[in-house]
Amino acid sequence: MSKELVIISGKGGTGKTTLTSSLAYLMKDKIIVDADADAANMYILMKPKVKYSEKFKGNPKAYIDPDKCTGCDICRKLCRFDAIDITDDGVYVVDEIKCDSCRLCEIACPEKAITMKDVFSGEWYESETEYGLFVHAKLYPGAENSGNLVTMVKHRAHILSEEKGIEYILVDGSPGIGCPVISTISGANFVIIVAEPTPAGLHDLERVKKLCDSFKVKSGVVVNKYDLNEEKTKQIEEFAKKEGIEVLGKIPFDKCVPDAIVNLEIPYAACDRIKNAIEQIYKRAMELL
Amino acid sequence: MKLMITAKGDNLNSTIDERYGRAEYFIFYDTESGDFEAIKNPFLNDQGGVGVSTAKFTIEKGVNAIISGSYGPNATDVLKVSNIELYKAVPGTVEENIKLFKEGKLQKF
Repeated sequence: MSKELVIISGKGGTGKTTLTSSLAYLMKDKIIVDADADAANMYILMKPKVKYSEKFKGNPKAYIDPDKCTGCDICRKLCRFDAIDITDDGVYVVDEIKCDSCRLCEIACPEKAITMKDVFSGEWYESETEYGLFVHAKLYPGAENSGNLVTMVKHRAHILSEEKGIEYILVDGSPGIGCPVISTISGANFVIIVAEPTPAGLHDLERVKKLCDSFKVKSGVVVNKYDLNEEKTKQIEEFAKKEGIEVLGKIPFDKCVPDAIVNLEIPYAACDRIKNAIEQIYKRAMELL
Repeated sequence: MKLMITAKGDNLNSTIDERYGRAEYFIFYDTESGDFEAIKNPFLNDQGGVGVSTAKFTIEKGVNAIISGSYGPNATDVLKVSNIELYKAVPGTVEENIKLFKEGKLQKF
């Protein structure tokens, strides 16, 4: 069984991909997974050569059978997402982008004219990169990431790792504490939570730490851009101490990091100022994994 | 008593599935008779709410204790009020975990 190292953050924009891509650069014998399909950006830095791709299904969307619909208007009145429109010809249709798949219309329709229809919501890929095999996904416009999609890409990575005898799986997770994050953490061996020294950064760290605890998964904290607000960084360190989680390292702010990403370069490889901190985090994470 | 074990396959030699809600198979095992029934997880490909659906399914099956790797927060909320005991599986097969459970060697989650 390969070991799964997951990088998440309670809040978006904390530097999760900066750290994951840098770890991907340093780590040997691993498969990289981008589980953050809502804002998939690892591929920009990994420059993958796609070897295999497949479409995947999202939530089923309501479909109204025009032959059975009598135009009673119940579904349109009930829909909380305003997803049901009437065409100029008086035909009831569902706007698939607005439909939230709640099935209320399906239950309410007295004519049983509404059924749920599978739709494709994106594609997932198996790719080769300079840094190892890479499993990632892309959503179609308006589609959203789901626990199902995260499970699928992680599952695929585990199959590949077993086939090829690869020891580690490195996962770039999504921000927040929702369904995709739950799916990302489940089954992980160690979770790195990236936090930034802001009020929202600390608050969201608290929430995501609680989520890791509920799974009883070991976790550690990385403070990114720590020197932008040393006072908040201190608060994060105090929180970590109180909760008994280790601060694996603190990455200084460096204007070079956003510049590197703009130039499609991995921050670790491009920016000298963050090298020590990233190496320390990498070393410690591998010990704890 | 009736046990539920999350597994990657449909028999007692299958490996434990670390995941509760998105486990591949649920194995229901009767500790008195040694009989078991394997059911493919019907919620595996749902987009969300899988933990709660699985917890509901578990309760409907009249299970007394569950052996799985980890339990998510929403599933735990449902299971907590049902008097079902949650155990932490150890890496290995379903059979090995049942044996440890019978010997009282599995830790509660």
